Amino acid sequence: MSNRGHTISSSRRPAIATSIAFTASLWLTACSGGGGDPYTPGTDLPASEQEAMRFLQRATFGPDEASFDRLSYLGYTTFLQEQRELPPSLQEGRLLSLGTDVGQSDRQEIWWRNAVRGRDQLRQRMAFALSQIFVVSDRHDGLDGDPVMLASYYDMLSRHAFSTYRELLEQVTLHPAMGIYLSMLRNRKPDPTRNIRPDENYAREIMQLFSIGLLELEQNGTPRLDTLGQEIPTYTQAEIEGLAHVFTGWNYAGATGWSGATPNRRPMEPNENYHDRNAKLIVGAYLCPSGVDAESELAFVLDRLAAHPNVAPFLGKQLIQRFVTSNPSAAYVARVSAVWRDDGNGVRGNLGAVLQAVLTDAEAFDGHVQSPQTFGKLKEGVLMQTAIWRAFAARANNGFYGYSNPETSYGQAALRADSVFNFYRPDHRPQGELTTLALDAPEFQLLDQNTAIASVNQLYRSTIVNWRGRSTPAAGDVLVDVTEPMALATDPEALIQWLDRWLLASAMPSGLAQVLRTHMTQVTDPRRRVTECAWLVAASPQFAVQK
Amino acid sequence: MSRHLDRRAFLRSAAKGAFAVTAVPTLGQLSQWTELAAFNPAAAGTYKALVCLYLSGGHDSFNMLVPRSGADYTAYAATRDVLAVPSASVLPLTPITSTGRDFGLHPSASALQTLFAAGKLAFVANVGTLVRPITKAQYQSGSVQKPKNLFSHSDQTNLWNAQSALPTLPHGWAGRMADFVLPLNNGHPLSPAITLAGSTRLLRGQTVAPYAMTTSGTVTLSGTTGTDGARRLAALQSVLAQGHAHPMERAFADVREEAIALDGQIRNALTAAPALATVFPDTSLGRQLRMVARMIGIRGTLGVQRQVFFVRLDGFDTHDNQITYLPTLLAAMGAALAAFQAAMVELAAEPDVTLFSMSEFGRTLTTNGRGTDHGWGGVQFVQGGAVNGRDIYGTMPNYTLDGPDDVGSGRILPTIAVDQYAATLATWFGVAPGDLATVFPRLSQFSSSNLGFV
Repeated sequence: MSNRGHTISSSRRPAIATSIAFTASLWLTACSGGGGDPYTPGTDLPASEQEAMRFLQRATFGPDEASFDRLSYLGYTTFLQEQRELPPSLQEGRLLSLGTDVGQSDRQEIWWRNAVRGRDQLRQRMAFALSQIFVVSDRHDGLDGDPVMLASYYDMLSRHAFSTYRELLEQVTLHPAMGIYLSMLRNRKPDPTRNIRPDENYAREIMQLFSIGLLELEQNGTPRLDTLGQEIPTYTQAEIEGLAHVFTGWNYAGATGWSGATPNRRPMEPNENYHDRNAKLIVGAYLCPSGVDAESELAFVLDRLAAHPNVAPFLGKQLIQRFVTSNPSAAYVARVSAVWRDDGNGVRGNLGAVLQAVLTDAEAFDGHVQSPQTFGKLKEGVLMQTAIWRAFAARANNGFYGYSNPETSYGQAALRADSVFNFYRPDHRPQGELTTLALDAPEFQLLDQNTAIASVNQLYRSTIVNWRGRSTPAAGDVLVDVTEPMALATDPEALIQWLDRWLLASAMPSGLAQVLRTHMTQVTDPRRRVTECAWLVAASPQFAVQK
Repeated sequence: MSRHLDRRAFLRSAAKGAFAVTAVPTLGQLSQWTELAAFNPAAAGTYKALVCLYLSGGHDSFNMLVPRSGADYTAYAATRDVLAVPSASVLPLTPITSTGRDFGLHPSASALQTLFAAGKLAFVANVGTLVRPITKAQYQSGSVQKPKNLFSHSDQTNLWNAQSALPTLPHGWAGRMADFVLPLNNGHPLSPAITLAGSTRLLRGQTVAPYAMTTSGTVTLSGTTGTDGARRLAALQSVLAQGHAHPMERAFADVREEAIALDGQIRNALTAAPALATVFPDTSLGRQLRMVARMIGIRGTLGVQRQVFFVRLDGFDTHDNQITYLPTLLAAMGAALAAFQAAMVELAAEPDVTLFSMSEFGRTLTTNGRGTDHGWGGVQFVQGGAVNGRDIYGTMPNYTLDGPDDVGSGRILPTIAVDQYAATLATWFGVAPGDLATVFPRLSQFSSSNLGFV
């Protein structure tokens, strides 16, 4: 049974090579046991193969046959529903199963495995996006020796990827990885006799980065201005100090004392002896009353932060930037903000609904046509890597994805930012034309003369060097499977079309196609044609910039 | 757009070796640049390099340069509680200029003590981001403009990089400074602004764009040797040289093309240079400074006369466990700095290279019991043969909590602006006095544009 005919209307769908067909019946057999497919196709099927591929560049770590077929079969809404409902691919349990001598390399391996192979692609993409907003990092001295702690944190993000923002914010706040990273763990009430005052680290960053940002925003993401036309700060130093007093008294769960507690990965718990019970000023010039216990006060301020009008545009715009485009229109931000405020069922900050709004907005679908000079984003380096590995169903003979230090090629790795300000700032503009045009391009902060070549070299290893069938591969070499395109490669146009479909969402410019044609006049061996042309496409600016 | 195309065309000609190294830049070479910057002719003819050591996270520099005795020490010890360095372990300093106050160094900063005693290092007291001079009373009343978003890492880093006045422009002061001395580099395609630590706004000029290296040099394209490799390289260059439709595609292609064009030239010069005899510590900073030294070692081969380098040491955001982290950082920093100075002697470049520290803020004198918080003013240092060393420039603060220099919780009001500190360095580098106002538009707000430390 082929699902192709009824999933994409034949009038708008380009010809698809039958060799890549993957049927619904296969899906059922492989993935759902004998229980049948619980998901019924909806009516919002992709209008074209290209539209589906563009969507999968955002909703997954790169289109592959399974995701393309599933989306084509279910349509957008049901595809997203299934993705939200799939159980999370987790890290901590697997890491622990490897024994006691595990390192950050093992954590990275599991991250790659889940990104390349996890069925819960949308959840993993969202967790990765959230890990770049609620940043913790193994570059911190207190975390670099504890990969399990970071795996636990990442799992928390995966589990709460589609929960409410308010729930996520609490989980982030109380996770001991964050407690260590931004020093809320064992933050204590003042001791004036010793000039000790509460640490302001978490108080500052939860406002600047995790919730409301520095400036009051309109719901469309533009700054609000006062009557003099000036931007309006969201808070002052006094409110940071107030919030710092709120975040006092938290320690490892189950701690009996204060300083001698046993580290563990459970949510932090309060010790009232070290919690400040005076009144304090918090954001919005609100006075928290005196005499309130740590837990109640925390719940209260998280409620206040989650209810702040800035949260929707501040974080909603960043999610658009992570998934779709670096420069969304104000109207796009406003539409996402509206869903953030109310998911249609009266729920505020429903992250699953927000992500759906980001991915299925009209601008996401037609921005490349409406605004071809501004719409799109540079792919993060690791997403270039996953896109290649997924398109070519890459795996190693030993089953691992042992790629421990992608930062040397791409400038980034999961939970490995230099600081809480992530790998890049949302408003970064590289020097030159993009600054002149006033276009934000956050991911360009990772692109310099080192990564510009090191990334091509990594892509070279992932295509020309490590293909399944090469002689004497190491057990851990992740090998791309070139069987299917090789069968096409005697016909240069067929190979170009195949690469274009899977790597460029069928948007290859004619100049690039001509370079490939010319190259194939010099390279006639089918396997070399595939790997060398795949490398050239992967090294192209068209592959790097998702549109 | 035209500049963009110019640069791409220029890079291609550079890749083919079409540019000529001449003693004096030709009009043709100068016209490559969109801005014909003036430079100080008196500064021409010699090599000079500035090296920025960025202490990332906000260095608790008031625990590096500390009081040794007297009322200063008493106030310091009371304010800093558990983090105070015991007076007996403070390393003594004997500055040329006597102020009657007694300062010394954290015991883990012995390398700095040695450099200071040798006249190769000076401290600059209480530097910070300022819009204009401000008193504590003016700070409290709000009558004088303060820098925006004080105590925030990202914002204060931006202000240090861009100097206080124009945070909305995308430039950094070292990049702007490099714009002005660019003609001294004889049209060499290598940017005069080189980072060993990734992206930084500090090095962004109007014309000058930073060039990034790794601690092992440039990165070389794989798989491009032999007949097959040459074909691949030609195809790749053809892919990059297309007339790309999207500005992000063009920006991406530019960086990749430039990187490929410059790699061979720099790699060959580095390979041909004599090995450095100076041994650097195998630490992050040691490796970065070693590569800076190696680049300085090929200054003659490249024919460049002005360079500014950026290196970075992370980990100074010591909210927690400062008593362990800070000494480790100071020791690692000192060892790398000592090696760097030795390498400059080896390369006969000691008078021509000045290293200076930056950090987004000092830290609170008060503690949270385990560490310190984001402050404002702090101590910086400059190092090199041209430095008027063995002295402390500016005035160390009063350490009394709620005293005249404390704007809250031991956040110290700066008395020297970033602009003054940077302009002093820029003047030594060769930016003409008449051009300082362009690089530092707010400089005239402050009493002196040259602090005299170099």
